[in-house]
Amino acid sequence: MPDPLHGEGVAIRYPFAATDAVGPLSLHIARGERVLLLGPSGCGKSTLLHSLTGLIPQAIPAERRGTLRLFGQEVQTRSPADWADRVAILFQDADQTLAGFTVADELAFALENRSLPPDLIAARVTQAIGRAGLAPDWATRRIATLSGGQKQRVALAAVLAQDADLVIADEPTASLAPAAAQMMADLLLAPGQTILIVDHRLGPILHHIDRVIVLGANGQVLVSGPPAEVFAQQGDRLTQMGIWTPLATRLRLALARQGIPVPPVTAVSDILPHLPPSADLAPLLLPRPVPPGPEVVRLQDAACAPPFGPTVLRGISIALRGGEVLGLLGPNGAGKSTLATCLSGLLPPREGVRTGPAGAIAFQNPESHFRADTALAELTAAGVAPDKAAGVLAEWGLSQVAQQHPFTLSIGQKRRLALALLTATDRWPLLILDEPTSGLDHAGAETIARHIRRLAAKGTALVVITHDADFALSVCDRVALLAEGAIQADGPAPGILRGSALLHRFGLAPAEAAPLLDWMDRP
Amino acid sequence: MRPTLHPLPKLALCLIWIGASVLVFDLRFQLLTWALAALLLWRGARVPLWKLLALSVPFALFGFGFLITSLLFNAESGFAVQMAREQGAVQPDVSPGLVLFFRTLACGMVSALFALTTDPGQLVRALMTHLRLPAPFGFALMQAMHLVPDLGRELQTLRMARAIQQGRPLRRLPRPTELMALTIPLLAFAIRRAGRAAIAMEAKGLRPGHPRSQMHSLPLRTTDLILFGLGLAVLAAVLLLLRQG
Repeated sequence: MPDPLHGEGVAIRYPFAATDAVGPLSLHIARGERVLLLGPSGCGKSTLLHSLTGLIPQAIPAERRGTLRLFGQEVQTRSPADWADRVAILFQDADQTLAGFTVADELAFALENRSLPPDLIAARVTQAIGRAGLAPDWATRRIATLSGGQKQRVALAAVLAQDADLVIADEPTASLAPAAAQMMADLLLAPGQTILIVDHRLGPILHHIDRVIVLGANGQVLVSGPPAEVFAQQGDRLTQMGIWTPLATRLRLALARQGIPVPPVTAVSDILPHLPPSADLAPLLLPRPVPPGPEVVRLQDAACAPPFGPTVLRGISIALRGGEVLGLLGPNGAGKSTLATCLSGLLPPREGVRTGPAGAIAFQNPESHFRADTALAELTAAGVAPDKAAGVLAEWGLSQVAQQHPFTLSIGQKRRLALALLTATDRWPLLILDEPTSGLDHAGAETIARHIRRLAAKGTALVVITHDADFALSVCDRVALLAEGAIQADGPAPGILRGSALLHRFGLAPAEAAPLLDWMDRP
Repeated sequence: MRPTLHPLPKLALCLIWIGASVLVFDLRFQLLTWALAALLLWRGARVPLWKLLALSVPFALFGFGFLITSLLFNAESGFAVQMAREQGAVQPDVSPGLVLFFRTLACGMVSALFALTTDPGQLVRALMTHLRLPAPFGFALMQAMHLVPDLGRELQTLRMARAIQQGRPLRRLPRPTELMALTIPLLAFAIRRAGRAAIAMEAKGLRPGHPRSQMHSLPLRTTDLILFGLGLAVLAAVLLLLRQG
């Protein structure tokens, strides 16, 4: 029986590009194999996924070379729509790619396109709703009323309903709270499923993965093999290349630099037996403390609401000092972005008081900040003197794209440019970053973390909205947990991020490094 | 007319009633149409009265144009009014502007009756099933319905980003110049989103001209036809009574 996917010498080049976006490379996936595709930002992972059923070049203009077979048949002999009977695709921006009007419409869509009998479709839809953990009454809910995370769960349920022989998933857990991300990973990567998945969040998925394929920055295969083997043998190299590796791998390498040898492990708890009592883990896990400055902003008994929307948060009392970094965690739809607009002063609270100067928000979609034709012009439009703009770009590692249109930059570059615009003039004593690491590779996330701490050292008060507890642990001094319309906890990051009972109650998960925090606090 | 009436006979009935409202230049008919539609919304669909009044505001503003033109510029606006007057006897003998005003309100309330008691998804599915609307058009319509709230959210984000750049709080309502400046970014967002949705639908097997089944096709029941006939009968009876009275 032929492999579900087999490609030889596959390379893709976009029109007018001087080099290939990805490849040439060879890849194959055997039946029942669960393969993780890793690589730095911009190495062509999504491009490769789009080519697998012929969306490239049939729907997205590009040139594909090499041979690509699905289930033994040349991909181009059928249209991308024809392949939907055997291949299900879960897109990166699931919330923008749903077709139906209601949840049931969406789940039935691909099956209706195959002209399956209505009774069979109804049965599959009911089954998929159950498997995806959605309440039965979700079937009649309108897609437009769902939050981004809820839409992503519906997209997953639609893939389950499709019951395809091969699933292709592009960052399926990117915007999900930890509990939802774990559930999605468990369902998508159940044993027996044949899947090719791209994801930067390794925690929820890695224990399900049979094989990892790592692409280099040039879009060619760097290494391929079982995860434990790849990360044990190549972990150092991959981390240096800015590719996500398991936290245990990164910690093992950092400990090695301190002269503490630890054998290859993929779970953080496996590091513990190898730690000498004198090991100093604080520099590896926690931010360097900055003496707190005067209070910058305070919300007192505030009720917050989105523009024209109902009040979603009540009784919010929170204050932030200069140089302090506050992590804001909470389940999908908890009102984190609403609190951000209230804290920044963009929208006044419906009740209560806000004191302090206005702050700025770096939105989750950095494109919202752009209005000029080049990265350099964005800075001058933001009030940076022309002779200083080049220096600011260099500081954020954007010199080489100074003359590029902001919309053509990679996601990491866009995030850095948006932050550069907000921080270049020292205009904002308060800065709120909404999911700053979403979609970034390890190098991109490290860069953002470094700049967060640099800004804190300069006295800026920062709020970081994130689902990534380990990122929060590494940059935040304090963490506030937002759920059910109120702040449920507010305190030092290490204390809250290992309080598993409280976190689990709201669909969150403790930091992966929690066992190491416990080790640090041992008597 | 009850909310569960099949969308297609409901659409046909509403269009016929709006057509009658346009053709019959009679204040009583316009008032009756407006009152009947409002009553069905209030009692049948449980729409609060304040909402009905709010819904009437844009139609009333539009209708005021006719009323004011008719009252203040009677001589100058004679042609349109005369054309309307010649469509039928004006009963009772009131200002044509008043009839035009209530005609606008009546048509608006019938439109609201349809819009507020019809599931848009079911309407599109009914159009695909019974009137052979091609599936790509049908799902494009559904995408357009998804796009409206998404565009609203994107507009708010863009407005907040602009407010941050200009160092001011977010205004409750945007100024015209602000809206003009956001037109191109919003258009770009809509185009990008539509492109992604089209690719996703193709990847999920949507093909023009290809047969597809429907999990829940809404059948036309006998009760739908009876209700449609009843609606027509009421209209005919009203017209007959007005002609005789």
